[in-house]
Amino acid sequence: METQHNGSEENSFGEILGLQNEIGEIQASIADYEVGKKLNIAIIAGPLAGKTTLLGEIERINSSRATGITFSEIIRNKKEISLPDDTKRIVLLDNCHFLYRRKTGGFDIFYEFLDMISSQEKLFITTWNLYSWRYLNEVFGLEKYFPVQVVIPDFEKENLRLFILKRYGKEEIRFYNDKEAKEEPFIYVAKYPLELSSLGKKILIPVPKINIPYLKNRLLNKKETQTTEDRIFEKIYLESKGNPGIARRIWELGLDYPRIKPEDIGQFSFNIELEYEEAFVLSLILLYQSLKKTEISDMIGSTSRVDEIIFRLLTQELIFKDEAGFFRIRPEALHSVVAYMKKLRLVW
Amino acid sequence: MANGDTSAQQLLDSIRSIDTQTLITMFLVFSIAYILGKIVTILLSKLSDKLSQSGRVKVKLIIPVVKFVIYIVALYYIFRQIFIIFGTELFLLTGILGASIGFGVKDLFADFVGGIVITFEKPYQIGDKIALGNYYGEVTDIGLRATKLVTPDDNTVTVPNNLIFNESVASGNSGASEMMVVIDLYIAGESDVEPAMRILREAVVSSKYVYISKKRPVTLLHKALPFYTRLRAKAYVNDLRDEFKFESDVHTRTWIEFQKNGIKPPQLHILNIPAIEEISE
Repeated sequence: METQHNGSEENSFGEILGLQNEIGEIQASIADYEVGKKLNIAIIAGPLAGKTTLLGEIERINSSRATGITFSEIIRNKKEISLPDDTKRIVLLDNCHFLYRRKTGGFDIFYEFLDMISSQEKLFITTWNLYSWRYLNEVFGLEKYFPVQVVIPDFEKENLRLFILKRYGKEEIRFYNDKEAKEEPFIYVAKYPLELSSLGKKILIPVPKINIPYLKNRLLNKKETQTTEDRIFEKIYLESKGNPGIARRIWELGLDYPRIKPEDIGQFSFNIELEYEEAFVLSLILLYQSLKKTEISDMIGSTSRVDEIIFRLLTQELIFKDEAGFFRIRPEALHSVVAYMKKLRLVW
Repeated sequence: MANGDTSAQQLLDSIRSIDTQTLITMFLVFSIAYILGKIVTILLSKLSDKLSQSGRVKVKLIIPVVKFVIYIVALYYIFRQIFIIFGTELFLLTGILGASIGFGVKDLFADFVGGIVITFEKPYQIGDKIALGNYYGEVTDIGLRATKLVTPDDNTVTVPNNLIFNESVASGNSGASEMMVVIDLYIAGESDVEPAMRILREAVVSSKYVYISKKRPVTLLHKALPFYTRLRAKAYVNDLRDEFKFESDVHTRTWIEFQKNGIKPPQLHILNIPAIEEISE
């Protein structure tokens, strides 16, 4: 049985992401700034949650009065954070968690940055990795510098569907189900993923669920139209917990282009066992989202152990190396890693 | 006098009436309680090691309570048997027991009472780092008679429970998984304090062992003394088991950075005092 995606993405970007409230809050702060009330803004979210996308939308809306700067790796030179003369009144800084190194002598750029945002008249809108923000907030009281904090919420299921399908054309994706519509059970068991930080694991709990669309169709005597697609996106939604980056990765793993079926949507639970230093390196990758080997060895103060630690993390399939040589946490392992880090209290 | 003789005779008769089966049953009950207590301790300790630090503390908190409940149930059974056997002569037996406690096993009895106090008043718990008497270490077991500590040198010290009635107990974490560690560093009096304090702070907050929150802040103190300056950092170690690793980590990284910035350790000024002949010249 197959159904096809209708490709009806006529919504604006904000509507697709369901971030109207967040965009509204930021725009309200910009309006306040225009009448003399300067309140710097921090956009905070976990990895792959969409903070860069949100900042891009803010830049698009305010293109005439905003300058955007993106930090793509750890900043070591103070000149890199000095603003050019033609910088507009609103400054958008993406990935501000790259402004410090977690080591002795690694906070000079960060002090310079705090001095800059508190001494200049410009409005600063910044994005931060959630775990770096929490760390820096506990250590330096970062919230005092950013009175407006916008935390990106998890996506709704419908927004995840639109977010994933917007890349495809009309009827391009075929939702395939091994079972015929009549054989669809009206009660089925879904495995609900749950992160238990006390155990440091993500576990899958079987939960009986009622197939409401199928039941509705049966009761109203309609032909089943959306069940397969619904089942697929429900699984993606449960597994990703509304994180668009994870959702896209799960989608890609399950997609046998142009076909996809519910059984191919994977559920991931990693049994993580690491030594403390390995866990610390993993926490650094989580804090920064992407790190080069040299940056890791710089922060842990040892070049000899880095290769061994990275090898362990790679073999446990917790991280991967991208084309630019950055180590990142695998999207599908992200929830398990966070649960483990919380168990060890390496992230707060 | 005749009454006394009769009572003693009755007591002796009651003692003679105890059959072997009853004695074996009482012994078995006590043994089962002891083994069960050990099994519970091992299982809960293993479970707690799989949990997060806060979970570990919570699980270890219930170990002594469960053990005491097991022992009290066993003792209840044993005393019930004794009451059935002795009946009205129990008062006489109590007197004999009182005398024996007073003379011979009073310390054992005090240890038992101490164990109950420790279990329910909780001056310390399993997993706490405590200073008790002359000993400092992590509490690994609270038993009926004694508390076991593992010192930083990995010695297991068995401290009788009655010590809590006579000695003050200092618990470093009091049930929490984090614990404050005080780190002192000494630098030469002429060294610049400001960068030294900044370096020490950065070494503390960037340590992999640190735990910081609103309630667990990092505090830095500075005290100028005649021949040197003392820098003190008060910070919380994430897991109290890493107390000394945390201290060592901060020391190492701070001194590496001190050397890069020309901050020197205190000099032995007494060696720099010129000899008397030099002064006279």
